[in-house]
Amino acid sequence: MLLNSVVIILREVLEAALLMSVFLASARFLHTRNRWAIWALVTGAIGAVSYGFLLEPVSDLFDGVGQEVCNALLQYGAFASLAAVAFHIPRRSNNLKSSPATIVALMALTLTFAITREGAEVLVYVSGFWDVSDFFSAVALGSVIGACIGFSVGVLIYYLLLAQPVRWALPTSVLLIHLIAGGLASQATRLLIQADWIQAGSPIWDTSSILSEQSLAGQLLYALVGYEASPSGIEVLAYVGSVLIVATAYFAGKFSSQRATADLE
Amino acid sequence: MKQTIRMRKSRLSVIALLILLVAPSYAATPEFEIEIRNHLFLPDTLTIPAGVKVKLVIYNRDATPEEFESYELNREKVILGGRKAIVFIGPLAPGEYPFFGEFNPQTALGTILVVADANAAK
Repeated sequence: MLLNSVVIILREVLEAALLMSVFLASARFLHTRNRWAIWALVTGAIGAVSYGFLLEPVSDLFDGVGQEVCNALLQYGAFASLAAVAFHIPRRSNNLKSSPATIVALMALTLTFAITREGAEVLVYVSGFWDVSDFFSAVALGSVIGACIGFSVGVLIYYLLLAQPVRWALPTSVLLIHLIAGGLASQATRLLIQADWIQAGSPIWDTSSILSEQSLAGQLLYALVGYEASPSGIEVLAYVGSVLIVATAYFAGKFSSQRATADLE
Repeated sequence: MKQTIRMRKSRLSVIALLILLVAPSYAATPEFEIEIRNHLFLPDTLTIPAGVKVKLVIYNRDATPEEFESYELNREKVILGGRKAIVFIGPLAPGEYPFFGEFNPQTALGTILVVADANAAK
């Protein structure tokens, strides 16, 4: 029971922790203050509790696939705000054209979407054992350990990003933002396939024998870049398409800030 | 004149493509039921036909929530206590696809057996 809880909570915490460490590192490179992170945690917690309580009526929506649709919307929401972050990063780093407030608000919004979804699942899981006192202490302890491991991985990634040469630090964060965005969009698409809103064909490849999704590396890659051992064509398309959208947003931001600089000169 | 015919043709092919895309959702989707009782899946082996989409209806008869999860099927869904959930799976190639209840992974275990012979899938 203890180990189950560790694994479940770790899996849920990992995604949000990675997103947060990449944001915190980027914010440092962009010389913005990091108080926004607290607000993101608060709004995310409010979102998670609300969603957790509403899960029953939400699940019944759309002929029983409301949960998939709602989760997919949260994922697409996180993707859209992440693309907006990618647009503003070069505008901030090149000539301070974007205000720090805009960037941190978008980062906080992305995290709120992520924490709402993951947090609601954690709440449903833990509350299921609320009345079972034999198990509850084990579940509670396991959850705390899982959360701490997830948090530690986040801290590790944060310092790994900061430890890089200045020239590489921001580009690495931007690259990670692209991969995280791809993961978010392909996961959202998979949820809509599960809900039968999108038609999927058979998986187009299967790498589970090389790297299982159940393995530690598989879990980490799932959280970080949305690794999927046997994706359908439409999931791959969603991944590639979303990475291209974020890249377009990033270069649009870069181009607009360069033009503004040229106009000034 | 030639151009309008060509345009009409391309429009027709677009419509045909749309029908092809939409058509599978109108075909009757086979439905299968699974129950969760005392953190066990009943039945724990479900045989379904290969190559078609299947609708799983999962009833959680326990008071506690469960998460239906399968790495092989790429599916995960929280089912609250005393509720039912719908999960669409497939089309799948013949083979064994294990699934489990993430909240009680020691006991809640099952397998979807996908077979090419549709008659065997009952």
